[in-house]
Amino acid sequence: MNDIFDCRLLIVDDEPELRRMVSEILRREGFMKVISAAGCKEARQLFALEKPDGVILDVSLPDGDGFSLMREFRAISAAPVLFLSARDEDEDRLLGLGLGADDYITKPFLPRELTLRLCAVLSRAYFPVVLRRTEKPAFRLGETEIDLNSGTVSAKAGLFTLTAKEFILLEKLYENRGKIVTGDGLCRAAWGDNLYGYENTLMVHIRRLREKIEPEPSAPRYLVTVRGLGYKLTGVEDK
Amino acid sequence: MKSMMKILSRYVLSAAVIAIILLIINFALLIAWIVQTSKIAPKDYSVSQLANGLTESDGIYSLSGFAKNEIARQYQWAMLLSDDGHVIWSENLPGDVPLKYSVSDVAGFTRWYLNDYPVHVWRHPDGLFVLGGARDSVWKHGIEMPHKVMDNALAWFPAVLILNGAAAVLLALLFGLQLFRSLKPLAEGIENMAEKRLVELSTRGLLGDLAAGINKTSARLTKQEAALNKRDNARTTWIAGVSHDIRTPLSIVMGYSSQLEDDPELPQSKREQAGIIRRQSERIKTLVSDLNLASKLEYDMQPLRRGSVALAPLLRVVAADFLNSGLSGSYSVAVMIGENAQNTVVGGDEELLKRALYNLMANSIRHNPNGCDIKVTLEKGWGNCSLSVSDNGIGFTQEALNNLNYPKGSARLENHGLGLTIVRQIIKAHGGTTEFRNLPEGGCAVVLGLSVSTADADL
Repeated sequence: MNDIFDCRLLIVDDEPELRRMVSEILRREGFMKVISAAGCKEARQLFALEKPDGVILDVSLPDGDGFSLMREFRAISAAPVLFLSARDEDEDRLLGLGLGADDYITKPFLPRELTLRLCAVLSRAYFPVVLRRTEKPAFRLGETEIDLNSGTVSAKAGLFTLTAKEFILLEKLYENRGKIVTGDGLCRAAWGDNLYGYENTLMVHIRRLREKIEPEPSAPRYLVTVRGLGYKLTGVEDK
Repeated sequence: MKSMMKILSRYVLSAAVIAIILLIINFALLIAWIVQTSKIAPKDYSVSQLANGLTESDGIYSLSGFAKNEIARQYQWAMLLSDDGHVIWSENLPGDVPLKYSVSDVAGFTRWYLNDYPVHVWRHPDGLFVLGGARDSVWKHGIEMPHKVMDNALAWFPAVLILNGAAAVLLALLFGLQLFRSLKPLAEGIENMAEKRLVELSTRGLLGDLAAGINKTSARLTKQEAALNKRDNARTTWIAGVSHDIRTPLSIVMGYSSQLEDDPELPQSKREQAGIIRRQSERIKTLVSDLNLASKLEYDMQPLRRGSVALAPLLRVVAADFLNSGLSGSYSVAVMIGENAQNTVVGGDEELLKRALYNLMANSIRHNPNGCDIKVTLEKGWGNCSLSVSDNGIGFTQEALNNLNYPKGSARLENHGLGLTIVRQIIKAHGGTTEFRNLPEGGCAVVLGLSVSTADADL
């Protein structure tokens, strides 16, 4: 198997229209081997025969339930299983995930969401990311270059090193670039869960960070304050 | 049972108070009566004074004019007995009064009556001065007490009072206890009824009728409760079933419409139509899950995943989410959190509270398509906090305000879904208050009142 699109997929759902639609969506997305079953019995036969690499499973089936079917599959194969169910009770979701399902999608769903989640599950199962070197991003704010790998900022004024807290804050802001990150979120990232009273400390760290990354720290252009809410990193240019 | 004890003690206390009041009234009446009688027969001049008014000169007795008048006014007649028992002087003496007395006669009438005339006597230098009143004008009764008793009068009078009071309290307690014993099962029955348990009391005894009434009411309530539960369950199950069954067909609609929307072979106009179908089916999806949530909240079936929820971060996250989701520039969101409200923590379900806040802000945005300024404020008071979402948009219609503030019966499907109904239900499930109002300067405000968790100080 060279590609996740080589995976054989099994769809189990009692509604023929839905089976057809999901197969169509998956084929269009690039999956070449998609088979489907209408019930537990048929699914067992197909599973034994075709040995699929991934299963999309409905919970309520005419001749049994998806949860126990998943357990049967798990006993003989490690193929990932995604639930696609009309039952959106938290209990059902938790039960499914607790039994070891790889994902739980509730109907109605958008095709895009299904294919994205399916691809994520399949690539985790067959093309694990661990093998890839985790590389931290490097980016540019105007003329300032920031490399999160080395934790350095090279600005006009010179080369700065980020402190541990500044690094965490900047990384968090970069991950949400262009979006507001609340002060609480930043505090939680830097100082742990549910700590209050760090607003002033946060302000101090933000000011120091600005001194390193802003051309004019007193008139910030890239790390802007959103009054009452938090901060936002704008004008990020990826290298 | 606490209230029963209260009733009993109140009962005994009131009995004691009544007894004491009665004693006081009687005592006062006695005093008034004594004062009154002394007024009816004022003893302006004592017997001694009148006796002194009788003087003797040369064997002839003469009565002073003043004494004569007084005798006529206060009494009827008078006489003077010599030491050997003869009448030696008299005034207005009635004919049936004898003129000679033995020692035993004198001893008799000095204490009691002389031929039924009430008399008073006084020692005169020449004998015994006797003053007589009209028949039946005075009631006489000799009082004789051991000296010891009279000496202790000051002690025993209050003692009698106290004894009276104690007896009253004791009797009241006795009767009260009896009443208490017969009322106790009834009170227990009513308590059980309040806790929705079936009550079957014994219908014998003094309060049997009352017990029978309680039994009947309880049976009826239990029956009603069961019927209500059955109906609520049926309704919730039905809604849950419908919302479940609608999901698969809706998946197909959403799946195909979004495929068509993305199909590059279709002309732009067709793709736009497919997009409309997709968006509308997403609305149906929201509506269906809202309906499901609303029906569960309505019948208290949604389990509250209770925890400590810090409101200020929650407000900021929801506001930031709105701003991050590409809110058009015609809207603005301002979050204002009072100085003392920064650490406000309430007990509740974080997801549901977030949902409530989200619904309120989404409501402001949806109803003001031309943009508006949204203000989210959090204030903290003693033991509670108020969270409000206001905007300067078009505000509520009067009808909407009435429906929202004074909901009639169960959840209603409004023009634009169930957003605000769900807000009210969520806050109700948290034991809070919801108030919808229009602002005088235009726009509207929704104020949520929640009680602040006591664990607040720990954080």
